[in-house]
Amino acid sequence: MSVKRRDFLQLALISGAAVSGLVMRPSLSVYAEDDADGGPLPGIEIGGIIRPPGALPEKKFRAKCISCGVCVNVCHVMKYDAIAVAGIRDIRNFGTPYVKDMRDFPCTLCMECPKQCPTGALNNVEKEKVQMGMALIDLSLCFGWNGDVCLSCSKACPLGGKVFDFFNGEWGNQPYINENCVGCGLCVKYCPLGGSAIKVVTRRQYDIVKPSYVADFRKILDMQREERYSIVYGQNLPQIMAKGRLVEREYR
Amino acid sequence: MMKLSRLRRYFMLGIVILFLLQFVRIKILVGGLSGSVAVWFVKLLDIFAYTESIAASRDFTLTALLAMLPVLGIYLIFGRAFCGWICPMDFLFEQTGKLRRHHGRISIPPAAGYILSVSFIIASGLLGIPVFTNYVSHLTNFFRFITAGVSFGLKFPVESSVIVYSGSVIAGLLILELLSPRLWCRSLCPVGRVYGLLNKVSLLRLGFTEGTCGECNLCDQQCYMGVKIARNIDQPSLRDSNCIYCGRCVEGCDTKGKIVKIKFWR
Repeated sequence: MSVKRRDFLQLALISGAAVSGLVMRPSLSVYAEDDADGGPLPGIEIGGIIRPPGALPEKKFRAKCISCGVCVNVCHVMKYDAIAVAGIRDIRNFGTPYVKDMRDFPCTLCMECPKQCPTGALNNVEKEKVQMGMALIDLSLCFGWNGDVCLSCSKACPLGGKVFDFFNGEWGNQPYINENCVGCGLCVKYCPLGGSAIKVVTRRQYDIVKPSYVADFRKILDMQREERYSIVYGQNLPQIMAKGRLVEREYR
Repeated sequence: MMKLSRLRRYFMLGIVILFLLQFVRIKILVGGLSGSVAVWFVKLLDIFAYTESIAASRDFTLTALLAMLPVLGIYLIFGRAFCGWICPMDFLFEQTGKLRRHHGRISIPPAAGYILSVSFIIASGLLGIPVFTNYVSHLTNFFRFITAGVSFGLKFPVESSVIVYSGSVIAGLLILELLSPRLWCRSLCPVGRVYGLLNKVSLLRLGFTEGTCGECNLCDQQCYMGVKIARNIDQPSLRDSNCIYCGRCVEGCDTKGKIVKIKFWR
């Protein structure tokens, strides 16, 4: 079979046009978290991209990373598949690795990717000193803060007692994630609430939202019994019940 | 003995298969040809990628240097054999070249390629991103395309724009190949420029033995990298920065490899 050159060039032109059309389409991420209501803490943005553990500060990381794909494939070899490659929409970060979908594929802090990174963009640090981000519990969605006993997040956490503070009270054993959190996202995955009640934000974003988040948390702790009762039963539980229907999900 | 031109194809296929084994979680070669980990122990980093990374970060890392040195060592011995024996694009170019109906050959002055490479390094320094390796490199894009494609197929987290972008870069290079044979390899590719420089001092080189050359120019015709062999035949050896040791001139020579040889060490 012989392909005429003109035919081939025509084909190339058409496929090129189709390909560029696909690139231009902004929303092409197929496996993005697709919660109808925006997931936990809708008022707080993630504030950037969550890097694999041991990453240098953003600017240095971008300069060092050559997009070789070692970390992505190491993560696959380790059977975690947490690391994805950033797409073309974020042109500056294109090709660099990040943890995309913590609901299904969180980082497990196995610390193999920083060990294998050939460029030094990921540095081999101790698990406790990793700074991928900071997990924030949506206190209005968390079972533990609304009269139930759950503690799934603290059981999933690879750093356990170092990260979780518990506030015992008549509403149960209320979990709170303190600043020792490294942002791996295992708690996000194992939260039984539909769409998860935990969100991992970047450290920079955490510094911005910290005052209001901590104020909210203090407010709930100091709240009068009747007021808390009306908020839990009036607002939070109906929300939780609605999300609960999303619970039937397959863990991957 | 197996013909060199066939042997190098098997060799390239072997390397690519070793890389593909990472998708079934066998960790012999993990990563891609810009940077990889061999047997979960030896880190390897492409020399041009290392240079760009240094220029972009203006910072020295021992990890990166230790990853680059083995590669430098290998190609100080074997010169630009990478392009002919490992780079998967050479095979893809060869297959695409079969569609080409004309024999036109576009020539770009060699200086242009070096200027392009240096400007990539300067651009990396200015933008703080390894520009060539991250966006343009055929090696990065080839392996990124496969990795992202496999992740997409297995429904692991992936952005499909990565597949589309990397696929289009490879497709663009193949279209370039339709215009002129190995224009990318001969004149543009910065990775090839670096290995070409190593060709000047490598232990592996093209050599000639005494004999009567029939001046048939078959060697020059066989060389798709545009190395001028026949006119240098009276010299002991030829260190052309475009020679990728594919062995076509050796096999093409009418004396069946008696005059043109690939020499090693002595």
